[in-house]
Amino acid sequence: MTAPSEQPNQDHQPKQLRPGLWETINERYPGSLVRKSDYVALAPLRKPVSQSRLTFVSSAGVQPKGTPPFDVVHPVGDYSFRTVPSDCKPADLEIHQIKYPTRDAHRDLNVIFPIERLQELASDGVVGALTPNFFSFIGYNMDPERLERSLAEQIAEAVVAEGADVALLCPA
Amino acid sequence: MSLHYLKEAVANNDSETLIRYVRLHLGDGNEASGRKEIDKAWIEALKLLLEVPETDRGFILHTLNHQRPETLAHLFFHLHFYLVQHSGEWIHDGTL
Repeated sequence: MTAPSEQPNQDHQPKQLRPGLWETINERYPGSLVRKSDYVALAPLRKPVSQSRLTFVSSAGVQPKGTPPFDVVHPVGDYSFRTVPSDCKPADLEIHQIKYPTRDAHRDLNVIFPIERLQELASDGVVGALTPNFFSFIGYNMDPERLERSLAEQIAEAVVAEGADVALLCPA
Repeated sequence: MSLHYLKEAVANNDSETLIRYVRLHLGDGNEASGRKEIDKAWIEALKLLLEVPETDRGFILHTLNHQRPETLAHLFFHLHFYLVQHSGEWIHDGTL
């Protein structure tokens, strides 16, 4: 897990929506609070969103039915990811993750993995198009270096291969 | 806990930290719940064997003798969650 740098809540900076969250996580999972100083700046948009191809990257553990389930029992985590065809319906998908409340997501997957909302945005022309595939993994990973070195790199390469102009990243 | 933190605990033979981690992992970040979950899994295993049902001991011995310790350790975690689920008391809905 990567913590945000120390940021005073000044007007020109985004407010921490859940103050104390990182301290809570560090209490429940001591040693998981990792501070980084080498942030990669967000890339500026090269063209309007309405002309961009958007991909979606989620740590919600959502995956197509029939694919090998994420390893939610491993004590150090699962460093694999699944591709999720962007034209899937929620009924085609299932959740394999036990570290966040999934009750409401089982009622409506869009609350955690808004695939139908993104399909609508593309259909309405708000975004130019969706990449053929989205990407999903589980956020329970105790080795942040491996996460960054392998999983994040692999997903980044896959995102580029999909021809994405914009990536929507959504933590669970 | 980060892997670095855990490896440090192993190097220092810090069993308390490792035990706490296991409980936190199995209790979704709640140490007391994790301890209870461990007990629950063992109780469930005990309940399944009280009537001395026929079991595939050949499979068990073959697995123990032919699988790598890492695979068996991984299986151990799977069995824990399997038994907890079998108990019907499933707490792993992220609400702890």
